[in-house]
Amino acid sequence: MLLPRRQDLAGDVPTDSDVVIVGGGLAGCALAYFLAVAGVEVVLLERAELNREASGTNAGSFHFQIAIHQLTGAGWDADRARLLDDVRFLSRAASMWMDLERELRADLGVHVTGGLMVAETPEQLDILVQKQRVEREGGLETEVLTGAGLRTFAPYLAEDLVGATYCPSEGYANPLVTAPAFAARAIEAGAAVRTHVPVWEVERLEDHSGGSRFVVRHARGALRARRVVNAAGAWAPDLARANGLKLPLHAEGLHVNVTEPRARLLHPVVQHIGRRLTLKQSANGTFIIGGGWPARAEPWPARYSIRWTSMTGNAAVARRVVPALADVRVIHTWAGVWAGSEDLLPVVGESARLPGYFTFVVPTGFTLGPLMASLLAEQMTLSATTRVPLEYSPDRAPVFAGGARRAVPG
Amino acid sequence: MDLFVVGGGPAGLSAAGEAARHGLRVVLVDERVTLGGQIYRQPGPGFVVRDARRVGRDYQRGVALVDAALRAGAELRCRTSVLSLRGTTAACLTEGRGHVTLIRARRVLVAPGASDRPVPFPGWTLPGVVTAGGAQALVKASRVAPGSRLVFAGSGPLALAFPAQLRHLGVHVVLALEAGPMPRVRHLARILAAGWGNAALLRDALSYRAQLVEARVPLRYARAVVRAEGEDRVEAVVHAAVDADWRVIPGTEERLDADTLCVGYGFVPSTELLRLAGCRFTYDEDLGGLVVEVDAWQRTSAEGVSAAGDGTGVRGAPAALGQGRLAALGAAADLGAITQARADELARPVRRRLAAKERFRRALLPLYAVGAGIYELASPETVVCRCEEVTLARLEEVMEATLDVDAVKSYTRAGMGLCQGRNCQRQVSALLTRRRGPSTYAAPSLSVTAGSAVALSEEQLATLAGTTPRPPVRPAPIGVLADDSVPDQGLFVGG
Repeated sequence: MLLPRRQDLAGDVPTDSDVVIVGGGLAGCALAYFLAVAGVEVVLLERAELNREASGTNAGSFHFQIAIHQLTGAGWDADRARLLDDVRFLSRAASMWMDLERELRADLGVHVTGGLMVAETPEQLDILVQKQRVEREGGLETEVLTGAGLRTFAPYLAEDLVGATYCPSEGYANPLVTAPAFAARAIEAGAAVRTHVPVWEVERLEDHSGGSRFVVRHARGALRARRVVNAAGAWAPDLARANGLKLPLHAEGLHVNVTEPRARLLHPVVQHIGRRLTLKQSANGTFIIGGGWPARAEPWPARYSIRWTSMTGNAAVARRVVPALADVRVIHTWAGVWAGSEDLLPVVGESARLPGYFTFVVPTGFTLGPLMASLLAEQMTLSATTRVPLEYSPDRAPVFAGGARRAVPG
Repeated sequence: MDLFVVGGGPAGLSAAGEAARHGLRVVLVDERVTLGGQIYRQPGPGFVVRDARRVGRDYQRGVALVDAALRAGAELRCRTSVLSLRGTTAACLTEGRGHVTLIRARRVLVAPGASDRPVPFPGWTLPGVVTAGGAQALVKASRVAPGSRLVFAGSGPLALAFPAQLRHLGVHVVLALEAGPMPRVRHLARILAAGWGNAALLRDALSYRAQLVEARVPLRYARAVVRAEGEDRVEAVVHAAVDADWRVIPGTEERLDADTLCVGYGFVPSTELLRLAGCRFTYDEDLGGLVVEVDAWQRTSAEGVSAAGDGTGVRGAPAALGQGRLAALGAAADLGAITQARADELARPVRRRLAAKERFRRALLPLYAVGAGIYELASPETVVCRCEEVTLARLEEVMEATLDVDAVKSYTRAGMGLCQGRNCQRQVSALLTRRRGPSTYAAPSLSVTAGSAVALSEEQLATLAGTTPRPPVRPAPIGVLADDSVPDQGLFVGG
């Protein structure tokens, strides 16, 4: 297993750097890696341990199919152009994941198992059929399965499910080791990664003396930086607020059920187009069941606590979709924080109001994090062939609950 | 309901009986098939007891307790486990029932008991290595004797009692090892001085010793098991002399053929439910490690939740009986079933007996205080986490990257399996503590001064307990947990 060494993480904090990244989750670690490899001087500061929050507590699936939240409800014609962009973007994320173990020369537990998105109602199936056309057009390989075809392909699904789409490039990796592997390679490439260094504030310098535009004040001193990247996940808005920035992000808790290991039943990862379910049987045989059920938020550093109804509600949807799970025992539950944007889009880019201040938070961060990190690094080193999409800008107005991009499934 | 009791061992049963006698409506649940806990465990289904005396004194004590609780009007439910506890509402699962039952009570008494202190050493996962508690359960519930050439290794009064009990079942005990020192005159003087009021305990100890002598079972002091050897099962046991901290003295190893190794280094309280309830804990290795804080009426820091028995620090059945009664009297007074004065009066003799037991326990500590050496026996290839098959070497490698208990767990998966760290967490936290050193964010080391409890910070508690307490605290089938009435807002969120 590729992990950064304790003595490296505990070293002195430099006093000067081109880029300072605040936050040692997948976003921060991956960005530090891509910047360091590109020869950029970079320091990453993490207040506790690497990968302890959303990056290490998500279920580790990568989903590339168009999800319900990407539909605005305005109709397929209206959404088509943007969805095609999304699909092309997600296809790139898929290629990135396929290549990531080679890139990092590390075992990240990547399993490309394929993924099913199931529908319970004719209305949901209609959405699947429509979205699959867009996916095909955008270059993402998916197919619609119904009737006997679906039964043969996925005999473990409930017999009365009307259909599913299958995407062969979906799968999962180990979220517990991915960000640390990025950090280890970043350190090799010259990045300074420091843990247990909370950042108190990012102070803007008016005179830009010596090219520095910021002083990052932290638990062990101060650090001058030309550019700052706020990659503090669910806590990014807290850090940004002091600089007058209002990021369109909020923190939620998400629930996951874990079962005892069983003989192989499922191969693909499974999600639901209209209900809260993500489900997979991991390499060691345990079922990991989640999908966005809420957990009770607790102030950091306390861990989020479990809502009983999330455990039982999530279990009910899982049993509905895969009836054979009924006798499989849940041995553990966990709850992780989730940095959510109302539109579920990444919040990535430089703030126009504060040149040199970047935000890098990705709500679907396990799927998109590595790709977004490479794109942001390209943009920051001015070697970009593709820019980070403008609709991800941290300056965009927050969309509130019930906003335009959320559709209610049939 | 007034009082909900979790656990049908000595503490839970005596509490249920006492509370019901004072008019409280009491329900007691136990996850096992029979009541009595580990010590008073009743024979399993299908066994008919023809001669109670031959089954043993513990059996008879159990029968008496169950009868007393039933006569007083308590409701006792077996095969029922508690999955979660929030406030004084418990989610229960009865075997064979297809759904979870919520039990709301005015007071909850958690009497979860204890399990064997896990001690990893080379060969501890070989078939033929059994824990004292596991072997006792086998004997009491199924009347099955473990092995035919048995070595017992451990410490504490059980190291005397258990080989003697096994001999009764026809097991050939070839050697008994006690890690603690040979009793000296000064020890015995202290024990005798504390023995006042503990005549029964003294008599038991002497009778066990006499039985071992009579059966010519060698009992060797200040020696501990170093490893178990064998291809597919135990074929030999290697033991060695240990110093005052139970650390192996090099060059003193001896090897002995045996087909069974029974290990009994005492017990550790079951803390899952009490941690889930948010109770405060202290630390005392000699009481089993994590010990829940209770007041004079066994009330924990969590509103409405009391605790009694070995689950609050391992002191054995006689103390558990007394604590159970105190908890019941406290609850009865709190709920207005009896006056505080009446509770005080009834509690007085119980407290006197408990104080005597505690004196005795402390007098024995110089002989039986747990030494740090038992957490240093594993070799690099020893599997420390059995569920996820994590070796010591793997743990040590990861501890080069981090000394954070959660991070170690996520990198190695140690503690993530079926037992949720019950078997490996103590070893993992010992490894972490050793590396962190005494100055920094250290967890308490093994108690140097025997019998002293250490208050715990949140971080120390996390390091020692490993997992964040979360429901379900017992495995529960998806089909039983599933609740179709929970509204699903239909928003999909993916990784």
